[in-house]
Amino acid sequence: MKLNLPLVRLLVVKDWQLFQKQLALYVLAGIVALCFLGLARPWAFYVGSLMLLIVLVAAACFSISTSLVVERKEQTLSFVMSLPVSPLDFTISKLAGNLLTFAVPFAVLLGGTLATVLLTPLPDGLFVYALLIFAYILFAFSISLSVAMSVESEGWATFAMIGSMVLINPYIMALAQIPDIDQRTRVDEIAWTTPAAAILIALSLASLAVLGATTWYHARKPAFH
Amino acid sequence: MSFAFSLTGVAKRYPHFALEDITLALPEGQVMGLVGVNGAGKTTLLRLITGLAAAHAGEVRVLGHRLPEEQVEAKREIGFASEDMRLYRSQTLRWHMDLMRQIYPAWSEEYARELLKRFDLRTDQAVGGCSHGQRVKALLLLCLARRPRLLLLDEPTTGLDPVARIEVLEALADVLRDAGRSVLFSSHNTHDVEQLADTITFLHKGRLVASADRHEFVDRWRRIVCQGALPAGLSAWPEIASARANGSLVEIKARAWSETLPARLAAEGLQVQRTDAMALEDIFITAVRSGGVA
Amino acid sequence: MTSERSQERLHYMDHLRALAMLAGVLFHAALAHSPLMSSYFPTADRQSSPWVDAVVWGSHLARMPLFFLIAGFFAAWLIERRGQGGLFRQRVRRIALPLLVAWPLVNWALTESTVWAARSVENPSAVLRLVRYFIELPDPPSAPITLSHLWFLHYLLVFTVLHWVFRTLGFGRVGELLLRGSAARVLWLLPLLLVPALASVSAPHPAPESPLPQFWAIAFYGAFFALGALVHGEPDWLTRARGCAPWLALGCCALYAIFLWRLRAEPPGEARPTASWTVAALEALLSVWLTVLCLLAGESLLRRPNALLQYLARSSYWVYLLHLPLLFALQYLMMDLELAWPLKLTLASAGTLALCLLSYQLLVARTPLRRFVG
Repeated sequence: MKLNLPLVRLLVVKDWQLFQKQLALYVLAGIVALCFLGLARPWAFYVGSLMLLIVLVAAACFSISTSLVVERKEQTLSFVMSLPVSPLDFTISKLAGNLLTFAVPFAVLLGGTLATVLLTPLPDGLFVYALLIFAYILFAFSISLSVAMSVESEGWATFAMIGSMVLINPYIMALAQIPDIDQRTRVDEIAWTTPAAAILIALSLASLAVLGATTWYHARKPAFH
Repeated sequence: MSFAFSLTGVAKRYPHFALEDITLALPEGQVMGLVGVNGAGKTTLLRLITGLAAAHAGEVRVLGHRLPEEQVEAKREIGFASEDMRLYRSQTLRWHMDLMRQIYPAWSEEYARELLKRFDLRTDQAVGGCSHGQRVKALLLLCLARRPRLLLLDEPTTGLDPVARIEVLEALADVLRDAGRSVLFSSHNTHDVEQLADTITFLHKGRLVASADRHEFVDRWRRIVCQGALPAGLSAWPEIASARANGSLVEIKARAWSETLPARLAAEGLQVQRTDAMALEDIFITAVRSGGVA
Repeated sequence: MTSERSQERLHYMDHLRALAMLAGVLFHAALAHSPLMSSYFPTADRQSSPWVDAVVWGSHLARMPLFFLIAGFFAAWLIERRGQGGLFRQRVRRIALPLLVAWPLVNWALTESTVWAARSVENPSAVLRLVRYFIELPDPPSAPITLSHLWFLHYLLVFTVLHWVFRTLGFGRVGELLLRGSAARVLWLLPLLLVPALASVSAPHPAPESPLPQFWAIAFYGAFFALGALVHGEPDWLTRARGCAPWLALGCCALYAIFLWRLRAEPPGEARPTASWTVAALEALLSVWLTVLCLLAGESLLRRPNALLQYLARSSYWVYLLHLPLLFALQYLMMDLELAWPLKLTLASAGTLALCLLSYQLLVARTPLRRFVG
């Protein structure tokens, strides 16, 4: 089956237009969060980074929700499927649209956070720690997106989104239990340790594998039903 | 003769439902009404014809394209609207029209404006604020203004109030006059089908019950009222769909009326008193109950 | 609005933008002779004059606000012509890319020239003495990373995004309603909104050079950007504001005198990290009124196409990107010279401008670079 790129682009733009009011709010909240970080005070750092995390998670979840779950629930999906699209076009458009919606704030926030760690008096050891947190968010997003693309049940899709994002708490606690990771956060230099590198690589590969497998599965379907 | 679509020995199976052995074709330029009760398989059949579903057996060809392999090419020339299809509530009809215009090169803005007037629709209103009737008309507009060669409508009048239903039917009757366009529309309402279709197909429990020209149906089916005792074995006659006695009166519904039938009934001791043409709804119900193919 | 009037608008806005950028070169050159900045500016000369302070802080209050107002105007104009996508593409090409390329080069040049000056100049400024002390330490601390004078590009990008945010959320209508009433309403209301932002930083307000956005700078410069975007859609506002011009001019004279007096009484420093509310209010009123006066003056005097101004407008972006490293280098070189400060100021400004324009002519005017920084 051949990919119809102009139509994929149109579908991505369509999803983006449907999501843009929410996205505008998240972008605004993201800029406010970066401004808090820019105040260079300890309390502002915590407010800013917490806000960034909330914005990122909310943007990821609502992007998936608007483009996949709501489309199915409000029966606009059958409208999209009636357009001259193949399951491959549809899958790629959803994947590209969501990755783009997620990647833009993700990249801005990741860059902002890393810049803050490096450019402010905060210990540079937080650089690796921040990467580990962002890698988990990427992983949780991949799981949520894959589940939402694969199941028809709104309940399961929501469960996957909330479940994977909420698990960041035990993940952070688990990181705190690893001395090679926890102790380095207080040191003013970027130091890669084996557990940190292993977790980062594992999460990145798992994210890629989950998204790759989902795309492969859907793209191979001859028809939607 | 070229066909808008043709299905040959098509089967589609779901865990609790199966569409079996469907062989059906629509000549180009014809309007076919697909009649069936809820759950008869109309939506599944339409999904097969749009390429949304892949058949487990048989061959589906639409406008010369083999489905589902060439679904994209086929869908470029198909306008499909179904009862469970919704437009984006937060967006205006204009937004939807712009999207269609970018997707379909054959989109006619002029025709769209004409339909806007015909359907009495506003482009700047969010779809969420429209009535159900307006949403159906908006969907039809989006299908028609792309100038499809094949129009597929799944239960277009379901859920409409009587006024909106008449409006949609009148509008459809107007736009279906275009001889170059083939149309398949499904409904469980035989009155709608009677008004619009050239050909009528009955579907029941995943099987094709009957498919013929509308006039042929009306010509072939008869309700015959006779005086006498119901002879044993009459129901087994291939041309008899149903026969029942009420005292000395016998009501027979024939699926293949012929001038010789009264004489043959007389030979069985039945005096024909009246012969009436049947309404499509009656034909449909009788055909479904008898289970036989007309 | 007739197309002739709209062309005139484009001309005077473009000319004003060029003048605002060129004023920046003079401003940075003059800071070397400002008594108020003698402890904070790397190129601070031995000779300073209160006359410099009397002039530069007035221009400081209106120059960048005027620039952002014009940026907002042109952003709205571009959206009208090419749509939001067109604006984003233009901003990536003309702002994000030049920023990414120029930032490391400018930082490198400024650092190298400053370290050279700290080591070599016989009459160093207070900042250079501090730099000399640090670089002589066995383990010298790394200098804080700043955007230097390129901060305005960073904020232009932030405002482009915020502009889209507010347009998408439909907030523009509030501003449109504000502009439809009496012009005086905005002339009073806008300063009121700016007072908290200006009270949160020292006076005169610093340059927001941090790579992370600052609340005060977003509020302060963003307000002017928004005003510019709104003025594009409501051109009559400026016509109505013209009626207030004599009062604004009188008000500015009086308020500026008070501002300079307060600045002498409350000089910025460790003891006063933020401006008092009075000074912040003065700054807010002056920045809004002076900016509007500049705009009105531009409308009256600069609306006809002028070859020199058009050339300056085309080259101003490149000149501004390049000027600070060149200016600093020239001023470091002249630091030990026994020349009167007006002569030093003239030589430094003219030299910088000449080098910038020469490089524009050689490297940008007829090369593909002009698509990015021309």
